[in-house]
Amino acid sequence: MLKDVTIGQYYSTNSILHRLDPRVKIRFALITVIILLLDRSIPLFMLFTAFYFIIVLMGNIPIRYTLRGLKSIMLFLFVCSLINLFTTPGTKIDIPVLDITWQGLYKFGFVYWRMVLMILITSYLMYTTTPIEITNGLEKAFHMNTQVAMAITIALRYIGILFDELDRLIKAMQSRGGNIHKGGINKRLENIKIIAVPLFQNSINRASNLGEAMDSKCYNSDNKRTRYYELRYKKCDAIAYLVMMMVIVISSIIIWKF
Amino acid sequence: MIDIKDLSFEYFTRDEYNYLSEMITAINEINFTAEDGEFVVIAGRNGSGKSTFARILNRLLVPIDGQVSIYGLDALNPENIYEIRKKVSMIFQNPDSQIIGSIVEEDIAFGMENLGFSRRKMKENINKAIEAVGLSGKGQDILKRKVSELSGGEKQKLVIAGALAMEPKCLVLDESTSMLDPFSRKEIIDILIKQKTVTVILITHIMTELLYADTVYVFDKGKICLKGTPKKIFSDGKKLEQLGLELPQSVLLANRLYNEGIIKKKNLMTVDDIVNEMSTEYYYKTKENIAMPAIIKENIKIDPTKAILVNDISFSYGKKNVLQNIKLEINKGEFVGVIGETSAGKTTFIQSIAGLLKPQKGSVYVDGVEIYDKNTDQIEVNKKIGFLFQYPEQQLFAKNVYEDVLYGVKNLGLTKVEAEKRAYESIELVGLSQEVYDMSMNRLSGGQLRRVALAGVIAMKPEYLILDEPTAGLDPAGGEEMLNIISALREELNVTIIMVTHDIDSIVKYADRILLMENGRITQDGRPSTVLHNNYISTNNKENLPTIMRFMFELKNKGFDIPCNCVDEDECVKIIKERIGC
Repeated sequence: MLKDVTIGQYYSTNSILHRLDPRVKIRFALITVIILLLDRSIPLFMLFTAFYFIIVLMGNIPIRYTLRGLKSIMLFLFVCSLINLFTTPGTKIDIPVLDITWQGLYKFGFVYWRMVLMILITSYLMYTTTPIEITNGLEKAFHMNTQVAMAITIALRYIGILFDELDRLIKAMQSRGGNIHKGGINKRLENIKIIAVPLFQNSINRASNLGEAMDSKCYNSDNKRTRYYELRYKKCDAIAYLVMMMVIVISSIIIWKF
Repeated sequence: MIDIKDLSFEYFTRDEYNYLSEMITAINEINFTAEDGEFVVIAGRNGSGKSTFARILNRLLVPIDGQVSIYGLDALNPENIYEIRKKVSMIFQNPDSQIIGSIVEEDIAFGMENLGFSRRKMKENINKAIEAVGLSGKGQDILKRKVSELSGGEKQKLVIAGALAMEPKCLVLDESTSMLDPFSRKEIIDILIKQKTVTVILITHIMTELLYADTVYVFDKGKICLKGTPKKIFSDGKKLEQLGLELPQSVLLANRLYNEGIIKKKNLMTVDDIVNEMSTEYYYKTKENIAMPAIIKENIKIDPTKAILVNDISFSYGKKNVLQNIKLEINKGEFVGVIGETSAGKTTFIQSIAGLLKPQKGSVYVDGVEIYDKNTDQIEVNKKIGFLFQYPEQQLFAKNVYEDVLYGVKNLGLTKVEAEKRAYESIELVGLSQEVYDMSMNRLSGGQLRRVALAGVIAMKPEYLILDEPTAGLDPAGGEEMLNIISALREELNVTIIMVTHDIDSIVKYADRILLMENGRITQDGRPSTVLHNNYISTNNKENLPTIMRFMFELKNKGFDIPCNCVDEDECVKIIKERIGC
């Protein structure tokens, strides 16, 4: 279901993760991705899997809610990773028809595990930080241009609304006897093409409405804006940075040793 | 003060090859003034230039000709853009495309951040604004609530709070009440009336909202055709009709009672006025301690063979239960109205009986077939049940009218000739002239587009037609046209109609039965008069009452001994004549 997609959507509740400074969370997410890309070994991945479960415990968000939202992406990544099964040279596994190697299977497992970890961990940044906080964090932590940061905020904010729009169009088509999930490939492509036009048009309308609303609220990137949330590090942020250092050190040792 | 003299605004349209084709005069020499603290309402049919005008006030559009002075600032001078926007805040129709923050306080703060307010001031103004729009009572951490969890009415209040926090001198609302239920609408109006220091300019299609205005302006074809107090505007019903508007039900009732000789005073406008007049005139008929009427019980007869049967369906998004154990049967040929607050689950409910959204629990049978069964042919179900979405003009699939109407018919597997015949017939049925057949969509008005969308659905000859607020955002004339087409479908082709609406005064005229939804449940089900009668007794919420019934209840409160379960004007007059004996 399209309504289930929860990427980029904030989940409002009270937890330590929600109270952390957005800069800490952004840096943490970034470092996680970098370390996971640097090396692949079972201990390293085990470390981050454990790390994920700690986050889940701290985040106070129902795990079923997050998993259901990421289901479609995980499925997509699964299919993408399958290619490793067939393209890696090595010892063939003794199954008829399929040309799969042991090395391929091994690589597939690692690639998929890595991507799932990245998605699961970075998604917690989105669940626990509102788009505006992320913007403020990006601006402060990486000196990002205000306009670019605002564009990111709005993109994140509108993912859910655009999915709703798409959902409505698909249903409108279905109620008139068309279906993008059924029929031959030509028919399906035809139907997707038909939906794409109003989807594009409605998105543009939405965007221009939002633009007007921002204009009428005196938004102007040249003006000096003040911030309602002043970013100031607290004690828990310091602890989080400490944890981050520890994760980096342990990961380095693991990468060194294995 | 806003002072506008001889304002004109023009724009050009382009044809398919991007050549300038036509100059459209959206605003034509308008004179307009609004004093500080005044409540101005602007009405007029779709496309009469109201929205363009509103955007000029906020300097989103640049006036082309004339003098526009907004609190002493000349709107034609580009340097004044931000100063004008600081003074005039604008609120649009759809709260979803105006909210930038993800949680309540974030969104209210956005405008103030742009103005460079200090943090302390922002905190202060957020609390004040929340209080002013009446969101503060709802739970302690309203400030931290997620915007997507608010109802439509609450979202619109949030948008108003965001505007008020910027300390504007004027609020301009462009059809901001059109997507809301009657109760939320009244709440918004009450908030606006309370703003004594802020000028409010409200654009609306809902005629009862004109009653609260200090001054009403009626636009037509870019000109101001009528201007004056509500009393003056409503004194000429014929003229209003020509302008695509109508008299509110309460004014119609007052006129009727005056013509029948029941009340002596002319030109009364609100239900309260009439009731006060009646109780002074017929004081000797009132009694003390009249008991409020009891809840009326009735049984609905269902023919189980040919009907929609909803068997215990439930649905939830995340932790929110949108539908909870709904059980229901609907007869063939019935006209069912579905009412309730925004976010009561009405849309989810009608989508699930239309075969568009599978409920997580329970089943739905249409003509004895379980529509979500694996073996059921989905196309057959969709053929049988037509569905018109909210704002259906946003879901048109083709460039011109004829092709769009043909889209659904083509999926039925008919011959080309038969399909085209059906498309022509249905375009005719919705009252569109032959000229529009191959007109491109962007040349049609809002009301026409809505009818094109309806034509596309009825061309498939559905046996059941389900509609989600088919009159929302249309001017009164356009709305009535839609309702007449829908009720003709029922009369002539025996189509079963299920319709979600917020327009209580109209639905009681057309529907045989009303379902009232609250928090994902159907709490009342029965004849319109019974449902609304019982709902008032159990909730004491006047805004969900149709005008006639509200009048009867108010009379009863004043001590007149009359029955209250009546929604028809003729019947109401008859009862008053018999019981009060005038």
